[in-house]
Amino acid sequence: MPRLHPNLQPYNPAADGTFDSVKAAHLLNRAGFGGRADEISKVIKLGPIKAVDWLLDFPDAPAEEQSKTDVPDLSEVEGYPRTFAERRKLFNGKSPDERQMLQQKLNMVNRQAVGATVNWWLKRMVDGPYPLQEKLSLFWHGHFTTSARDERSAWLMWQQNELLRRQGAGNFKEFVRQVSRDPAMLDYLNNSQNRKAHPNENYARELMELFTLGIGNYTEKDIKEAARAFTGWAHDGDAYIYRSFDHDKGAKAFFGRTGNFDGDDVIDIILQQKACAPYIAGRLWSFFVYENPEPDLMASLGTLLKESKWDLRPVLQAMLTSKAFYGSRAVGTQIKSPVQLVVGTIRLLDVEMPDARRLSGALDQMGQMPLMPPNVKGWPGGRNWINTSTLFVRYNTALFLAGGAGPVTGGKLKRAGISRDKNPRAKDPLAIARGGSAEQIVDEWVSRLIQRPISLSKRQTLVETLASRTDDQNAVRSMIQLIVSMPEYQLC
Amino acid sequence: MLNDVSTRRIFLQRGLTLLAAGGSIPTFLDNTALAMMHAADGALIQQASGKDGKILVIVQLSGGNDGLNTIVPYADDAYHRGRPALAHKASDVIKIDDYIGLHPNLAPIKALFDDDMMTIVQGVGYPNPNRSHFRSMDIWHSAEPEREAPATGWLGRYFDNTCDGTDPHTGVSIGETLPLAMKGARITPLSFEKPENYKYAGRDRKGYEKVNDIGMPTPGRAEPVAPKGKIEVATADDQLQFLTRTAMDAQVSSDTIQKLAKNYQTSSQYPGGEYGQGLRTIAAMIAGQLPTRVYYVSLGGFDTHANQRGRHEQLMQQFAQGVAAFWQDMKRQENTDRVLMMTFSEFGRRVEQNASGGTDHGAAAPMMFFGKSVKSGVIGKHPSLTQLDQGDLRYNIDFREAYATVLQQWLDSPSKPVLGQQFKPLSILRA
Repeated sequence: MPRLHPNLQPYNPAADGTFDSVKAAHLLNRAGFGGRADEISKVIKLGPIKAVDWLLDFPDAPAEEQSKTDVPDLSEVEGYPRTFAERRKLFNGKSPDERQMLQQKLNMVNRQAVGATVNWWLKRMVDGPYPLQEKLSLFWHGHFTTSARDERSAWLMWQQNELLRRQGAGNFKEFVRQVSRDPAMLDYLNNSQNRKAHPNENYARELMELFTLGIGNYTEKDIKEAARAFTGWAHDGDAYIYRSFDHDKGAKAFFGRTGNFDGDDVIDIILQQKACAPYIAGRLWSFFVYENPEPDLMASLGTLLKESKWDLRPVLQAMLTSKAFYGSRAVGTQIKSPVQLVVGTIRLLDVEMPDARRLSGALDQMGQMPLMPPNVKGWPGGRNWINTSTLFVRYNTALFLAGGAGPVTGGKLKRAGISRDKNPRAKDPLAIARGGSAEQIVDEWVSRLIQRPISLSKRQTLVETLASRTDDQNAVRSMIQLIVSMPEYQLC
Repeated sequence: MLNDVSTRRIFLQRGLTLLAAGGSIPTFLDNTALAMMHAADGALIQQASGKDGKILVIVQLSGGNDGLNTIVPYADDAYHRGRPALAHKASDVIKIDDYIGLHPNLAPIKALFDDDMMTIVQGVGYPNPNRSHFRSMDIWHSAEPEREAPATGWLGRYFDNTCDGTDPHTGVSIGETLPLAMKGARITPLSFEKPENYKYAGRDRKGYEKVNDIGMPTPGRAEPVAPKGKIEVATADDQLQFLTRTAMDAQVSSDTIQKLAKNYQTSSQYPGGEYGQGLRTIAAMIAGQLPTRVYYVSLGGFDTHANQRGRHEQLMQQFAQGVAAFWQDMKRQENTDRVLMMTFSEFGRRVEQNASGGTDHGAAAPMMFFGKSVKSGVIGKHPSLTQLDQGDLRYNIDFREAYATVLQQWLDSPSKPVLGQQFKPLSILRA
């Protein structure tokens, strides 16, 4: 077995610094959506290895299999046709006006169901049983991108969301096979229109460019041949179907091999390419640890992925227990995604989850509406999250969650019915560090919210805000609102 | 490095700021000043627009504006044949020549045409037209039709190539999200929907300014530049500097914009809504002599698949009122010859109406240019209404030719680095 890259060597508290609350909070931020004080204590107690075991201990099963009741409320689209055939039947014999009315109705209920799915998903991120499973689902959602735009069916989006949950820590090869048969994906990347007579290269191209190999690691000819192999892989509006008469059964020449390949063969060959495992390893590392990982680190992690026969768990385990995961390039360097910011703020402040439909305007303006990634490349992340406008929305949204009132940038929250009296139920801010000095109260809240030390001058500003009003709810709440309006709070 | 005049200018400015900060200079400022010089090195730094510079205003018609019912080929039988319920009668259109005329509600715009302030460019599009709103919009924004998931826009790349980035107001977009067109790799323009909401909403304004270092010396703006062959590493400190810088930009621009928008006096009657009020804000910012070179505003709702007639009439009226009010303002401000306005939509609509009294996604469509600097008239051949490509008009002019014109002849910037190849400029502007 080749030697592990030095950064992938296991983190050793004796040599690399104690496993303290900063590190425990870091683990809970990256492998979840932020840890509360009790969770941080628990993780410290478990230690860095067992904590990761605990986080990775979830069933590779869809939510619906985990609990029949913890699923999105899709009742809005219940009773409406799912397949194209049923749809045609419903529209048959109707006048143009009736069809148009019906179409509008279908679009409306579908949008409501998409909104309900987002609502459920965010709630599950806040207080679901398996934070890492949801974090992985969010990662894969940005990787195997599909958008509900263009009135894409809420049923299909939900099915795909479940696939991401089921396979997120499972076997990557199996994952790619299932994604290639996922109706939402087939629809989004037009593979339903990929027919022997008129091949459509969209899926074949993105499969290689974005999902498995990365740009530059294949030829245009490879794309054409792969597209032929995926001809006939379609869906009927509800489920995957294979249309034999549309499938090109001729010989294809793909990455130097020739045969009557179908989609699965193409996936096998792609995964044998040298570029594949390091590319996937790099995508995971950038999301969970730091951006722009070193090429030799990606290669080393890729080797691990191949040795595990494409099982993702051992790779995640290695990443989350590595020396580099707790190094200075990782801790506190990530700009929170809007979802991380919103879900994390709700968790860390321990406030009631507001209806996500009320938060959707803010998420949209911050640039991350779940189920609606901007394009097939997903969310670019990092500094792309930040501009002057999104920064105000980020500050103001966190303020709102921290019991703040006032106008929220863009007015969308207002339009969505959010006003001061509808603020999330804020807990008594005095419950924490009651009776302490201003310094103690500030330190306690900084450690809960920013979870890393801040500069002395900023700490001083917070202390001055509080001054002697340490038993005044409003004063403490104002101080908390300042903490979530700090550049430091944008990082995790 | 320091032999570059503009680089030195920035360095001097920066150096003075550093001095003014006295003993309390955060250590990161040294690094960022250096990084900034690297980034500015070789860039073609332009002067800001301020009081005299040229200004570009983009008006985006979102949803796919029906070009055929905007600039109407009233004299073409195929137009009337294809649209029995939607075609405007020859007697209703405002005639431009013996073939085309303006939508009946575009009378305020005809006044600009008669005033030699309007150019119509006919049949604009691109090869292999895409009929998805999102994809086609991406293509118009990025000017990179081949790139599946573009990360920067044409105006963003223009900013990247020509702006040093020391002023946050280089580009301003009105709307809740920053359009891809304006996004650069290095420069991110401002965007906001309503000036009054573009601000920090908390009550403790003083505390907020303190914890965000507002009023402190500005940390350098250029992104950290990795030495060649090295990987870019962002430490927690780098990230904090970047965020602090953005927070400062946000606050500075928030104060400026709110003051300008609130105090602006005009007798022009702008329509309500984001588009009309956005144009009003833009007029206020131009009057305020901000250094902004590009403003961006959108009017949405053009996706008229059903019952198009009333809806489109309303939109045309809104569009025309906004444009007319804006140019009245520009006249009053004596800014008509330093402002150029350009309109576009992601695609036009099909020649034939559909069964729901609407039109479906099409391809080529006209663009409009306004200002004292345009050669008033009509450019390009109108696409044939019978020789179609899958039911849609074939383009005669690539939209990137229009962009090249704007870049080279208006923004005084080479177009090839922005557009990836050399497009021949059109004859839109006076010499």
